[in-house]
Order: sequence, then C-alpha cells, then structure tokens
Amino acid sequence: MKAVVVYKWARNAADAIVRTDGSIDWRNARMAAGEDDPAALAAAKQIAADTDGTVIGLTIGDGDASWALARGVEQAVCVADAPNLADNGATAAVLAAAVRYIGDVDVVVIGDSKQEPGVAVALAGELGWPALVGLHSASMPAGQLQAVRRTVGEQQTLSLSTPAVLGMSAESDADQVPGMKELLAARKRPLTKVTLSDLGTPPVDLVSVGCRKPDSTPSRLFQGEPAQAAAQLVAALRAEGVL
Amino acid sequence: MNTASWVLIASEAWSGALAMVQPLGGAVTAVVVGPRELADEVTASGSGDVLWLEPADGVPAEAYAGTLAAIVAAAAPRVLVSTYDPACRVVLGAASAQLHARLVPNVVGLAWAGDNVLVQRAAVGGATIETLSTDGPVAAIYAGDEVSLPARAPAPVRRLDLAPAEIRILASEPVAVATGLDDAERVVSFGRGVRAKDDVALVRGLAEALDAELACSMPIADDLGWLEKSRYVGRSGNHITPALYMAVGIAGAPQHMEGVRGAKVVAAINSDPDARIFQTADYGIVGDLYEVIPALIAEVHK
Ligand SMILES: Cc1cc2nc3c(=O)[nH]c(=O)nc-3n(C[C@H](O)[C@H](O)[C@H](O)COP(=O)(O)OP(=O)(O)OC[C@H]3O[C@@H](n4cnc5c(N)ncnc54)[C@H](O)[C@@H]3O)c2cc1C
Ligand SMILES: Nc1ncnc2c1ncn2[C@@H]1O[C@H](COP(=O)(O)O)[C@@H](O)[C@H]1O
Repeated sequence: MKAVVVYKWARNAADAIVRTDGSIDWRNARMAAGEDDPAALAAAKQIAADTDGTVIGLTIGDGDASWALARGVEQAVCVADAPNLADNGATAAVLAAAVRYIGDVDVVVIGDSKQEPGVAVALAGELGWPALVGLHSASMPAGQLQAVRRTVGEQQTLSLSTPAVLGMSAESDADQVPGMKELLAARKRPLTKVTLSDLGTPPVDLVSVGCRKPDSTPSRLFQGEPAQAAAQLVAALRAEGVL
Repeated sequence: MNTASWVLIASEAWSGALAMVQPLGGAVTAVVVGPRELADEVTASGSGDVLWLEPADGVPAEAYAGTLAAIVAAAAPRVLVSTYDPACRVVLGAASAQLHARLVPNVVGLAWAGDNVLVQRAAVGGATIETLSTDGPVAAIYAGDEVSLPARAPAPVRRLDLAPAEIRILASEPVAVATGLDDAERVVSFGRGVRAKDDVALVRGLAEALDAELACSMPIADDLGWLEKSRYVGRSGNHITPALYMAVGIAGAPQHMEGVRGAKVVAAINSDPDARIFQTADYGIVGDLYEVIPALIAEVHK
C-alpha cells in the first residue's frame, strides 16, 4: 500500500489573539502541526506496517516540512507556495493535485480537524474517492482497510475499499516529540518541493469583508472574600433555578 | 438569480442548519439520510422538499456520498449546508467538489449582498466572526446552535433508492459504562487545579452538597488516574447536558469545553482571573478552590 499522510505546519490558532475590533493578531502564534496530525501519522504508519507498504508525507504552505520526516516518514512532498485559504475546498484541491502528482496512491490519511472540518471531506470529493472522517484508528489486516470510530456510547469498526481518504480525529495529545537523532536523520530524507504552477491549480478564494467579536454575554465574576463570593454565586445559581 | 438552498441531514442536530437557510428566501430542499422518523421530523418543519434515503443494514451513510453528490450537483443549488456530523460532511465534500463550490467551515450565518453570498464563519476557536463574500456557489458546514422551528404543514417526502459504495459496518459495540453523568441535573467537575489525590475528597464533598455527579478533565483521569476514565468530560470523553456544570480548577481548554456545550449554566472556580474558562462560563469565582469550596459547602447548607 502506498499511503500519503497529509499534515500541516502553520501558525497555531490557539495562540492567536483577537483584538477588540475582532481582527486577528497572529504575531505571537507559534508554528505547530495540526492537533489531529499525530493521529493521522499513526494511522498511516499502521496501514503501511500491515501491508509492508510506504508512507509519503504531504504538506502545503511555506512552513518546515520536516515534521513528518522527523517522525519516521521516509520521504515528503511540499507545495511550498500554496497560500493559507479560507475555502477548505481550495485547500483540498491543492492537496488533491499533489496526491495525483505523487501518483498510484492507495490511501490518503489526514487530520480531521475541528478548525478546518471541510478539508478532509473536500479532498475525498476532489479525488472522487470514498471517505470516512472522525476516525480514531485505522489499519489494514488481511488486505482490507479498516477504521474505528467512537461516538457517544458506541464504537464502530468499518471497512472500505481503496483508494480512500481517512480523516483522523485525535483523542489526546499523542505527539512523540523527536530527539536530536531523528531531527538529524530528517535532514537527509528526500523532500520534493513542488509549486502551484507545477500542479496547475491556481486557487480561487472567498473575499474577507471584515471581522467582528461574537455577541456573547460576558460571565459574571465574583471576586474577593471566599465566603462573600460563595454567597453571591449560590444566590445567582438559585435565581437561575439550577440549584 | 439562483437562490436555491439544499441542506444535508444525517443525525439529530439539524434545526439550526435548516433555520440558517430559510431567511435567504429561496427554495429549500432537505436531504435526509437515516431512519424514516428523522425524515418525518424534518418534513414537519414544512420548509420545502424532503428527499429521504434509508441506508441498508450494515451500510453507513457515507457509502452513498458519491451518488447523493451527483443528485445535488445536478440540481446545482447556490447554497449547500451540512451539519458537523461526519457522514453529512462526507456527502458535503463530495457534492461541493462536483459543484465547484467554496467550502466554508464553522458557518454561523448566511445573507445576500446583491448577487454575492455573505458567509459568516467563526474563526480562532469562536473568538471572532469573519464575513466572507463570494459570487459562486457555497458549501457551508453549520456551527451554530440548534433552534426550535415552528411546526408547519408537512412537506411530501420523496424516497431515494441508491446503490452504496464499498463501505460497510463490520461491528458496532456499546462503549459507555453507566456513570449517571448522562442524565445528571448537576455536575461538579475538577481539573489539575486540585493538587493531590487526597484532595479529591474535598471536591466530592461539594458534589454531595449540591446533589451533583462528579466528573473531571482528561488529565485527571488519563494521566493521574484520580477518577475513572469513564468520568472525564470533553471531546473524547463525556458530552453532557446538565442544568449546572460547575468546573473547579479547570482551565477551560476548547477540547474540554466541547463536552459541555449543551450545559444550561456553567460556573467556574479558578484562581487565575485570565483563565480561559471565564470566557465561556456564565458565572465564576476568582479564587483558590481550597478556600472557595468550603465556603460554598457552608453556604449551601445555610
Ligand atoms: C486531541 C486532544 C484531545 C483532548 N481531549 C480532551 C478532553 O476530552 N477532555 C479534556 O478535559 N481535555 C482534553 N484535552 C486536553 C486539554 O487540551 C487540556 O490539556 C486539559 O483539559 C487541561 O486540563 P485541566 O484544565 O484540568 O488542567 P490545566 O490546564 O493544568 O488547568 C488547571 C487550572 O486550574 C487552575 N488552578 C490551579 N490551582 C488552583 C487553585 N488552587 N484554585 C483554583 N484554580 C486553580 C489554573 O489556573 C488552571 O486554569 C485534549 C487535548 C488534545 C490535544
Ligand atoms: N496549509 C496546510 N498544509 C497542509 N495540510 C493542511 C493545511 N491546511 C490544512 N491542512 C490539512 O487539513 C487538516 C485540517 O487543517 P487544520 O485545522 O488547519 O489543522 C490538517 O490536519 C492538515 O492535514
């Protein structure tokens, strides 16, 4: 099996600061992989191990492509000039073109992120492949692609034919931070840089016409002496009818 | 101008997505993948045509994504909306690619600006709402709340009969162990603000005083083992809907808060006035839980 693991190396939205006018200040945001990318990598590796296959890393944007290479992926492809797009479909179209460029891919494994929940499904749509998302693990025992997902109260095991797209959802922070040895090895592993013009996919995007803060009622905070704060909170909760 | 909207529904939460397209004023078509009862509920909202597909035994809704996408693409709606539900999203992705639509996640509102569609989406974890504009078709993943729709004269249901792709459910097992959290009226939950295992008794005392179930954040169960794993709340844990969720020494990470989106009132006790949980909690006490909990217990017993 030839598995592609799609990962991201971009500014972490959790570190972004929203200004009072709703605009976003990205200056303090660190570069990070997607939160679900370690789960995607684990699934891709499992599928490769079960089938004596290979894993190829794929990332877009101008970030550092070595995240997967330092975590045991032998080779990676990076679409270096792809911009950050609001349209998940446009991001997916770039990724789909790169998957076609890699060629003969059996399965694409990608983080099914909460922030960008359209990328994995649009990628499947662009490729015309069947897909499952919100998955927690995947494997390929006895030549059959299988995936597991847990919803509230139920665990499902599903099978699907290849080629397919699997969207993985992390259940905890399972990233294995690589050591110096792995980081050095990553530098020697082949990284192919391609451009949008190589892929022939100039992305079109929506136009941003502004940001605003959501209308939310601020929380009522009680400070000061514990006894007094406790009395205020209990009174408020009784008034709400929840105590 | 094409003002038609299609809404994809494959699970219980659909009213908000449907309500979002109604103000656009165009014809609305709902596609329901699931049991007949779900189609009937949608029909009772009377908001337009309902196409209904019942997956065969052992076949997940995703197996119909390709054929459903072709039906949506043939109708070429200007707006296509799905819920966050994984199966719905897979159908949306397939249809969006065929429609050459702009696919926007975390959408909370839609409007017209001349011939353009204005799409409001939550960004940076909901801290800001960005408005995007496009002159093309839009595929939106709805991220707002559920609403109650007025009952109207039911629309007719048209049944679809489609062949599935090769995706099958091999096994389905129940996982949850009964904790009482599911239908608890009140839940007291604690996080790493609690310093030692012995101090769990203090929080348990508060839960007893409030007649509440006890829960925790993921690290308390997963890393520290101070409470059973079946009792942590969040994305990968319990999703609960109590009237009161009282979070003690919990930072309020988005993964944690996903589990209490359905709570009526959230109250937080945290010593850090800038703790993230105070951004979403309804009420809070800024203070040391070791002082606040005894005070709360005393107050409740007064
Ligand atoms: C993919 C993924 C999935 C995850 N899923 C979940 C999930 O389902 N559920 C979940 O809970 N987490 C989940 N997490 C982890 C989550 O990101 C947070 O790390 C976790 O919720 C933090 O737990 P905490 O609030 O108990 O601890 P901390 O972040 O350490 O916060 C402790 C809080 O206690 C306060 N505090 C300290 N001392 C006191 C005191 N004396 N009095 C009052 N307050 C005090 C501090 O100010 C702080 O705000 C997930 C993470 C990832 C990456
Ligand atoms: N710029 C990008 N480069 C590569 N992959 C991306 C990019 N943006 C999104 N993705 C993929 O889409 C998934 C969801 O994106 P995100 O929410 O931004 O983490 C990620 O797990 C990535 O695998």
